[in-house]
Amino acid sequence: MTLRFLVALTLLAGAVQAQSVTGKAFGTYVNLAGNVSQSPVATLPSSGGMATGQADAFGVPGSVDAQWLNAVTTGAVDNKKTGAQSTSEVENVSTAAGLITADIVTAVATSYFGQFDGGTDATGSGFTNLVVNGVPVTEDVAPNTRVDLPGVGYAILNEQTPTGDGVTSWGMTVNMIHVVLQDALTGLTTCEIIIGSASSSVAR
Amino acid sequence: MIKARHLALGAVAAILVAACQDTASPRPSITAGHVKPPPKGGGECANFRLTGGGRVDQRDHLGYAKSTPESHDFATFGFQARPTSSCPPTDGSGNIEWNEHNPDEFGGGFAFHGQVAFFTTPTDETAGDSRCGRFGGLGRLNTRNNGTFEDVPFEVNHACDVAEPGVGNDHIKITIGDVYTRHGILSGGNIQQHRLTGNN
Repeated sequence: MTLRFLVALTLLAGAVQAQSVTGKAFGTYVNLAGNVSQSPVATLPSSGGMATGQADAFGVPGSVDAQWLNAVTTGAVDNKKTGAQSTSEVENVSTAAGLITADIVTAVATSYFGQFDGGTDATGSGFTNLVVNGVPVTEDVAPNTRVDLPGVGYAILNEQTPTGDGVTSWGMTVNMIHVVLQDALTGLTTCEIIIGSASSSVAR
Repeated sequence: MIKARHLALGAVAAILVAACQDTASPRPSITAGHVKPPPKGGGECANFRLTGGGRVDQRDHLGYAKSTPESHDFATFGFQARPTSSCPPTDGSGNIEWNEHNPDEFGGGFAFHGQVAFFTTPTDETAGDSRCGRFGGLGRLNTRNNGTFEDVPFEVNHACDVAEPGVGNDHIKITIGDVYTRHGILSGGNIQQHRLTGNN
């Protein structure tokens, strides 16, 4: 009897536990010595829905130039099936004094769970005609690929950061280009640039 | 890319004509300053809502691999759509963003933002598939090199939640005016069907 009561109590607690989704996407972010510039951010309400952020062009002299920035995040909460998916796209990208360029940068972050299992992934993320240090990159870029930018700093391409415990929560943040510019003498970070960012998570 | 962005109006018109010739049934068309009402009717009341977002590369269910980089032939999207609380009529609400990158598509590629006006079960080849829904309405078509069109009718002929994850499983078909259609399996993202609870 006591066991039944405990099981029922546990199920009840699970039923009333707040399920939630998060989603966020943006085209570009620049932190230049503490001065932050960012293109419109799409932020998903915790109860689900849809949010967008667009700009025809975005530029910070010496840091980044980009066009056709589109960020969208959608999601819904449901006991049976819950999901959130975010997409960021940026076209005609040039950053780090032209050391990295791309026709299109696409970030996709998807998180979901059903009645029995959940998951998250960044499938669909990618670059179109990426060029790094003057060299075309024709293959898919592996997650968390570091490239040095001689005399300038470095960049992490296709930066993927999973979140959640994989049991009751799942999430992913994707930053397709993450540039860190450093002082040539001190090595200190002088500027941080993110291009093509999408994140999503779900919890039950 | 630059060349594509400067397509002559004649080339755009040729694309428009080709798209119209490919039309199997009468559909609304894009004409600046003249917009027809969105398609309605057909389909039954649906007792679910849909959300989705991601990427579509291939067409007509021919796999879901990424297109070649030089083609720029893919689209990304995000949407939420649901029927209104009382059905019939088959009114609906929601939004969709659809971004087409192929420079050979209408306007050299475009960003489309649509407002959902109706939501039903599908009427195309997915009719009867309980995993699929249909919705449509009017929207704003912002092309790369051919200006902006307001109140353009669109229809998501079907959006299907086949399995989790959506990549390689879920599929969607959209028609915008008489000038554009894409139908494919998701190469990224997800489509989910949810019960009709809450507002989102």
